[in-house]
Amino acid sequence: MSSEPAPAMQKMFFREAIARAAREEMRDNPDILILGQDVGRFGGSYREFDGLFEEFGADRVRDMPVAEAAMVGVGVGAAAAGLRPLVSITYMDFMMLGFDPLINYGAKLRYKTGGQLTAPVVVKTTAGAKGQGVAHSQCIEAWLMSVPGLKVVAAATPADAYGLLKTALRSDGPVVYVDHKRLFPVAGEVPVEPVAIPFGSAKICRPGSDLTITTHSFMVRTALEAAKLLEKDGLSAEVIDLRSLAPLDMKTIVNSVARTGRLLTLEEGQITTGVGAEVVTRVIEHLGPIQFTRVGPLPAPISSNRILEAACLPDANRVANAARLLQSPKKLVSSY
Amino acid sequence: MLYKISVPQVADVEEIRVLEWHREVGEAVEPGDLLVELETHKAIVEVRAGQKGYLRKILADAGNWQAIGLPLAVLSESESDAVPDDAQALTDLPVDFEIT
Repeated sequence: MSSEPAPAMQKMFFREAIARAAREEMRDNPDILILGQDVGRFGGSYREFDGLFEEFGADRVRDMPVAEAAMVGVGVGAAAAGLRPLVSITYMDFMMLGFDPLINYGAKLRYKTGGQLTAPVVVKTTAGAKGQGVAHSQCIEAWLMSVPGLKVVAAATPADAYGLLKTALRSDGPVVYVDHKRLFPVAGEVPVEPVAIPFGSAKICRPGSDLTITTHSFMVRTALEAAKLLEKDGLSAEVIDLRSLAPLDMKTIVNSVARTGRLLTLEEGQITTGVGAEVVTRVIEHLGPIQFTRVGPLPAPISSNRILEAACLPDANRVANAARLLQSPKKLVSSY
Repeated sequence: MLYKISVPQVADVEEIRVLEWHREVGEAVEPGDLLVELETHKAIVEVRAGQKGYLRKILADAGNWQAIGLPLAVLSESESDAVPDDAQALTDLPVDFEIT
């Protein structure tokens, strides 16, 4: 039995965890710089870079015009030249503009140069629907999981936001670091001791025995709410926060589904070729046929209208309903 | 009569961190006085007294967290009213809050 005391923790907002990770890594490594809109004196669109401009100055915390293709291009180029930029894309929707430099140049650089050049750039971007309409609501991380040479991570808690950003800023890159609009109001405990969280490590945030729910980012909170609803029906759901989408932690996922026998994948992005599609396929490759269902939004752009937005997105009730259906032996079609 | 001040219902906020108390326990409070500054994930909320009284008990010190709607302090109309252990049942003191 371990007699070590629990690590000291400090409660902070999601944005403070991001600022803390950036600050620690920037103190440690003078090559790290931040590029983005409103990252300087404003402290970041969500105040997630608060204090960094004051400490590190305009050379290392640089406001950029609203030009995502150029920003990512500059970031990839600077990384290839030896710097370690963090490019902040306020809305993940507009990350699409930076796909060419990120993928064709950043992700492929190592392959094109036989390992002689790499692009240690972190593209940090905020996904998710929160009343801002069709062009400011998307979660498209699934589109990036298949890019060879690109790593994709998504934190759901302040502790993971902190730990994963530290690893991202030390990584060979490129890394896409996805956070979520609806996570910024969240506060949580973060270890006082500086510690990085490795990529490829999922977390069982709620142990259970009747089914496995795999999810990431804001939907982790929805899954936990659904698990509470299911508990009232006597169903015990194990919730896994993926944290790392590329690479996926298949060991944790497969071990869980081997125990529970049932898999529900949950995401805010589209389920067609989504994160869940990949998780289900790989689990079946490991374990053979299992009972599974994928839960995601309706196949429509997310409206800025509150009622239409809520109608499109998965919520705890929908997830719980899908989980209950999963208990039935009949064949299931993935539900909304 | 005894009152409590609770964390104001600020849109889009789940919980706050108490930044700084501007009045001490025992001090008299006038309408408009700045009682406490609270920090949300986005901004700072200034909570000002809406009526006079005495600050009798602080339930969340600077650096502590409190959820929306839960009590922060106990106030009373007179200096010597006995202060209860449980503040949740008390009437809310009228306050003005401003997001800065």
